Amino acid sequence: MQLARIDGVVITTVCHPSLVGYRSVICQPIDGAGDDQGPPVIAIDPHGAALHSRVFYTTDGSSLRALLGDPHSPLRNMVCAIVDPAATR
Amino acid sequence: MRLGHVIGNVTLNIAEPALRGGRLLLVQPFGKPQFGGAAPTPLAKGATVVVYDELSAGLGEIIGFTEGAEATMPFTQPTPVDAYNAAIIDGIIYQPPAAAPAGRGSGQR
Repeated sequence: MQLARIDGVVITTVCHPSLVGYRSVICQPIDGAGDDQGPPVIAIDPHGAALHSRVFYTTDGSSLRALLGDPHSPLRNMVCAIVDPAATR
Repeated sequence: MRLGHVIGNVTLNIAEPALRGGRLLLVQPFGKPQFGGAAPTPLAKGATVVVYDELSAGLGEIIGFTEGAEATMPFTQPTPVDAYNAAIIDGIIYQPPAAAPAGRGSGQR
């Protein structure tokens, strides 16, 4: 899983059915110190993470297809955990 | 999933039977500036991707595409595809924190 910060949302109406019903959020991968690491990635978010909150998103497509129950889903990234803001190292 | 501008399409002459009838888009992937609304990077600079498309995205539109093994999942019979158009993007609300610390490297994810 990759640590990331939510930097926004993406709106889509014409899309693959497995995206329907989920928020598509812009995840900016960050390191432990919070520095940006590379370009943002779009992930689906069933947990409703707030803007600028830190999350973990998965990059494993097979477990995501099992979770969605759709063997034909082309997705790979999903927000699967929201970091507790009070959590400090 | 990554975003990209559709800058053209690709017509195949001799191709794998599985690709027959498919629609291929030429897509310029987003870097961070494009999220903020910048124009696509010119062809020579960026790593342009050829994306298999079933949503009939038009020229100049922004799409969300997935790559690698996941790109072959939507097909019933094995298709040699490396990037698949999963969504046509209608709107991007991009609000990075004002004091976003500049990242050290900007390697490709």
